[in-house]
Amino acid sequence: MNRTRIIFVSIIAATLLIIGLTVLLTNQGGGSAGASLTVQRPDVVSIRILTSLPIEPWVRNAAEQFNAEKRTIDGAPIQVQIEAVDGLTALGRWDRNEYGALLNGQTPETLTDEERKALEHFPVAWIPDSRYLVELANASYKERLGRDVFLTDGEYRARPIAISLFAWGLYESRARVLERKFGEINWRTIHDAAIAAGGWPELGGEAAWGFFKLVVPNPARNVGGLAAMIAAAGEYYGRTNISVEDVVNPEFQKWLKELMGAVTDFSSSTAYTAEDFALFGYSVGDGGQLLESDLLQNMQGIITRWEDPLSIYYPQYLTWFDFPFSVWVGPETTALQKNAALEFQRYLLGDEQQKAALAYGLRPANPNIAVDAAPESLFTKWAERGVLSIVPRTTAMRSPDRDTLLALLRWFDLNVKR
Amino acid sequence: MSKPSFRPSKRATQNRAAALVLVILLLFGCGATVVVNTVRQVVDLFTSEAPAAPTPTFTWAPDSAVLTAAVSPVMAPVLRELAEEFNRQQRRTPDGKNMQVEIVTYEPEEMVRAAQLRPPFQAISPDSSLWLDRLEQLWQSSFMEQGREGESAIPIGQRRIGAQQRYAVSPIVLAAWEDVARQLGWPDAPVRWQDVQRRAKEDPDFKWSHPNTNHASGLLAVLAEFYAGAGVTRGLTVELATRPDVLEYVKAVEGTVRFYGENEDRVVERLEQEGRNFLDLFVAQERVVIDWNRRHSGERLIAIYPAEGTLWTDHPLALLELGQLEEELAVTANQRRTFQAFAEFLTAEPAQRRLLAAGYRPADLSIPLESEGSPFAGTDAVDWRQPQTTLQMPPAEVVDVVRDYWYYTKRPTNVYLVVDTSGSMEGAKLTATKRALKAFLAQIRGDRDRVGIIEFGSGLKDYSLLAPLDDPTRRRLENMIDRMEAGGGTALIDAVYAAVATLQEENQPDAINAVVVMTDGLENESARRLSDLRVLLRSNPSLPIVIFTIGFGRDADEAALTEIARIGGGQFRRADEADIEELYRIISTYF
Repeated sequence: MNRTRIIFVSIIAATLLIIGLTVLLTNQGGGSAGASLTVQRPDVVSIRILTSLPIEPWVRNAAEQFNAEKRTIDGAPIQVQIEAVDGLTALGRWDRNEYGALLNGQTPETLTDEERKALEHFPVAWIPDSRYLVELANASYKERLGRDVFLTDGEYRARPIAISLFAWGLYESRARVLERKFGEINWRTIHDAAIAAGGWPELGGEAAWGFFKLVVPNPARNVGGLAAMIAAAGEYYGRTNISVEDVVNPEFQKWLKELMGAVTDFSSSTAYTAEDFALFGYSVGDGGQLLESDLLQNMQGIITRWEDPLSIYYPQYLTWFDFPFSVWVGPETTALQKNAALEFQRYLLGDEQQKAALAYGLRPANPNIAVDAAPESLFTKWAERGVLSIVPRTTAMRSPDRDTLLALLRWFDLNVKR
Repeated sequence: MSKPSFRPSKRATQNRAAALVLVILLLFGCGATVVVNTVRQVVDLFTSEAPAAPTPTFTWAPDSAVLTAAVSPVMAPVLRELAEEFNRQQRRTPDGKNMQVEIVTYEPEEMVRAAQLRPPFQAISPDSSLWLDRLEQLWQSSFMEQGREGESAIPIGQRRIGAQQRYAVSPIVLAAWEDVARQLGWPDAPVRWQDVQRRAKEDPDFKWSHPNTNHASGLLAVLAEFYAGAGVTRGLTVELATRPDVLEYVKAVEGTVRFYGENEDRVVERLEQEGRNFLDLFVAQERVVIDWNRRHSGERLIAIYPAEGTLWTDHPLALLELGQLEEELAVTANQRRTFQAFAEFLTAEPAQRRLLAAGYRPADLSIPLESEGSPFAGTDAVDWRQPQTTLQMPPAEVVDVVRDYWYYTKRPTNVYLVVDTSGSMEGAKLTATKRALKAFLAQIRGDRDRVGIIEFGSGLKDYSLLAPLDDPTRRRLENMIDRMEAGGGTALIDAVYAAVATLQEENQPDAINAVVVMTDGLENESARRLSDLRVLLRSNPSLPIVIFTIGFGRDADEAALTEIARIGGGQFRRADEADIEELYRIISTYF
C-alpha cells in the first residue's frame, strides 16, 4: 500500500472512529429505548409509604423498629420511609397524578433514565384514613387507566391496620353545663348551643366563656372535618346513608351553616386539630366531634396546661376510620418493593405493634388484641374520662359516595371558607 | 525488461482522483461546518435579541443541608440564638452534610410576598398562622389563574406550604401600666375592648397604640374595633364591616391612637427611651409583659385579656414546597432533613424551656406553666388560665375588607420625605433611593394621607407640597423622583427645618405629622443650626411632629441624625443600598 493510500485509509478510519464515538456518547447521554433493562437485585429495598396523620406517630415508630431489626426480602434489607400526609390531601394529589403514575401506554421500558430515576420515589403503599378514600382514588385512575390501582381482594388487598372512632370531646366545665341544659350530647343539642344568641350565660354557663365555640377540623387540611359533617348530616336526617340530595337540601344547609358559625377560626387551624384544641384550650373551642385517638393522645397535655380535662361521649351514629394499608399495584414499583410493603404490613398487624398502637389511643385491627391488652393503653388510662372499651351502640354511618363528598366539600368552600 | 514506469495507469489515476475528491470533500465539510458555526455565532452575537434580564434566582446545591428560614422580627432574636445552638451540635445528614440553619428577618407581609416567587429561603416562621393561610390563598389563586384547577375534581392539596410545626404561642393582650389597668377595672372586673376604646375617646390624655394591620396584634386590635362598632362578637360580615356607622366608630377610635408602628419591640424601645408617659396602654403579645417586668424593677405592666376575646400568635415553622415554578429550585432532601431536625430541636424540652423563660407558652404541653421558676408562677401580671375565649376570625374576604377599610378609617398622615441628592449620592445610592421612595409611596394607601417631598443639596433643589395621594399626585411625585440628580453639598438642617415649618403652617393636630429625612453625608451648608430646629419644634407643643432619620452608608453624620431624631421624638436608622427600600417600607407602617 503506498503512502497516499495509507493517508487515505487513515482519514477514512479516523472519520469513522469520530462518528462512532459520537454516536456512542450521544446514546449514553440521553438514550432511551436502547438502554439495558436488566433488573438487578438492589442493595437496599427502599419503600416510601404515605401515612395519614392520626396514625403517623405509631407507624413511624414501628418503621424505626422495623428498620432497626434489618429485615430483608430476597436477601436485601428493607428500609421503610414514612411520609405523613392528610388523606384528603393525598387523594387530591393522586387525582391530579402528582406522584407521577405512568399514563396509559407508558411502561418503565419506554422512559428515559431520568424519568425512571424519578419513579424510584414513587409511593409503594398508602395508608389513608378510610377505605372510601381508596375507592375514590381507584375511581379516579379507573377513568384514566381503565383499572384499579389499589386492590380490594387478593394478596395485595387493602387491609385495615387500626381503628379509631369519632367521639365528642368537651371540656368538663362546659360539658356539665350542657348536660344540665340538654341532657344528651349530640349534634342537635350542639346546634342549639351554637345558635344561643346569649352565649354561655343563656346556656347556664359563665359569661367569661363567651359564645359556645365548636371545634371542627378544616376539611381542606384534615379529612376529619369531612367526617364530622357527614356525621352531623346523619343525625340531622336520622339515617346512616347520605346522598347528594341530602347535602343540597336548603334547610339542611341552613342548619349546617349555623353549626359552622360556632367555629372560631378555620383559617389558622392546622391539620392537627386535636393538638390545637389542647394548645389553645377552651379559649378557641369548648368541644367538638374528633377522632377518639387524637383526643386520648392529647388528654394529658390538656390537664397539664388547662386544669380542665375533657369528657368523652359517643354519638348515636358512629363514624370511624380504619386506616387501610393499600399497596400500589401498578408497574411504577417493583415486585420486590410490593412484597417488602406486605412484609411491613404484616409487621404492623403483629401482636407487638398492635399492642403498641394502644399507647396511641388506636383500637387494634388484629382481633386477638383487646383494647386493655397493654399496661400503657390509653383506653385504660382515661376510662374515667368516659372512654369506652366497647361502644354499646352500633349504628354506623355508611361511607358516602364520591359525588356526595364533593358536594360537601364544595358547600364548605363556598359557604364557610370564603 | 522494461523499465518500470512511474506513470500511473489511467484507472489508478482515476481512483486517486476520486479519493482526493473524497478527502477534499471531507476536509471541506469539516471546514465548512467550523466556518458556518463560527459565522453563525458571530452573527448571533450581533443580531439576536438581548437575553431577558435574568430573574434573580437563589441557588443552592442539590445536596445542600443548609436551611434558610425567614422569621418575623419579634421572634428573630430568640430563634437566632436557638439556631446557633442547633448549628453548634454539628448534626449530619446520612450523606455526611453538615445541617445548618440560617435565620433572616422579614416582616410577615413581606415574607408572604417573597414566598410566592423564588424566595431566598426554604422555610418561614411568621408570628401567626394567619400569614400561612394568606400565603395559601394567594398561591391557590395563582394556581386557578393558570387554569390548573380544572385538572382535578378534588380541590385540595395545591399547597405552597408543606410540613409545619408550632414551637411557641402567646395570646395577644392589652399591656397596661398597673395604675391604668386598675382604673379600667382590673383585677376585679373583666376589661373589654370597648372599655379601652371608650376611655380613649373620652380622655384626650389617654395614650394608646397598636401595630398596623400587617401584624397579628394590629389586625386583632382593628378587628376588635370593627366587632365593637358592629355590636357583635362573632359573625362579622362584609355588609356589617362596611356599614357607615361601623366605619365612623372605627374612625373615631383610630383617631385616638398615638402611633402605629412596625412591631411591639419598637414600642418597648420607645418606652425605655421616653419612660412611663410615652403610652398608657398598647396591644402586644403576652410575652412582652413578662419580658418587661423581668427586666425593669419600676412600675409593672399588666396583661389584660379582653373579655370579648382575643387572638393567639402561634409562631409556626413551615417548610415551603418550592420547585413548582419554572427556574425555581426545589427544597433538597437534605434541607428537608434539616427542617425536620430543627423542628424536633425546637420542640424538645431544652429549647421549650428557653422559650418559656423568654415569656412564650411552650408548644410542649407536658411543661406546666405554673411550675416553680416559670415566669407565669407567683405573679398576677399574667394569668396562664387566660384567655377564656377568643374573637371569631372572620372569613378571608372579611379580613381583607377590614384591612382595606382600616386605611380609610385610621388617623390621617401628613408626611414630608426629605431627600439628600448631594454629589455623594451619585450612582447606585441615588438609584436605590429612587426605588425606596417609590416603595414608600406605594405603601401609603389612606385617602386622607398627604405626602410631600423636599429634595436638597447645597440648598433646596426641588419640592412638592403636601397633597393627598390620589393618582395624579402619585404620578407627579414619581416624576419628581425620576428627575432627581446628584450634585452639590448637604444643607441637612435647613431642609428639615423647612419641612417642619410647613407642617406647622398646615397645623393639623388630628393627623400624624411626620418628617422622614435621609442623608449620606455630613451637614456642611445649612444657614440654620440644630438649636433653631429644637426651638421650632417646641414652639407648638399641641402639634407633635415626629422625625425619622436615615443614615445612608458609612459616611452619614450619625451624631446629627441621632440628635434630630431625638428632638423630633422619632427614630434614627442606618441603611445601605441593599436595605434602604425595606427601611422606607417599614417606616411607612408608622403612618
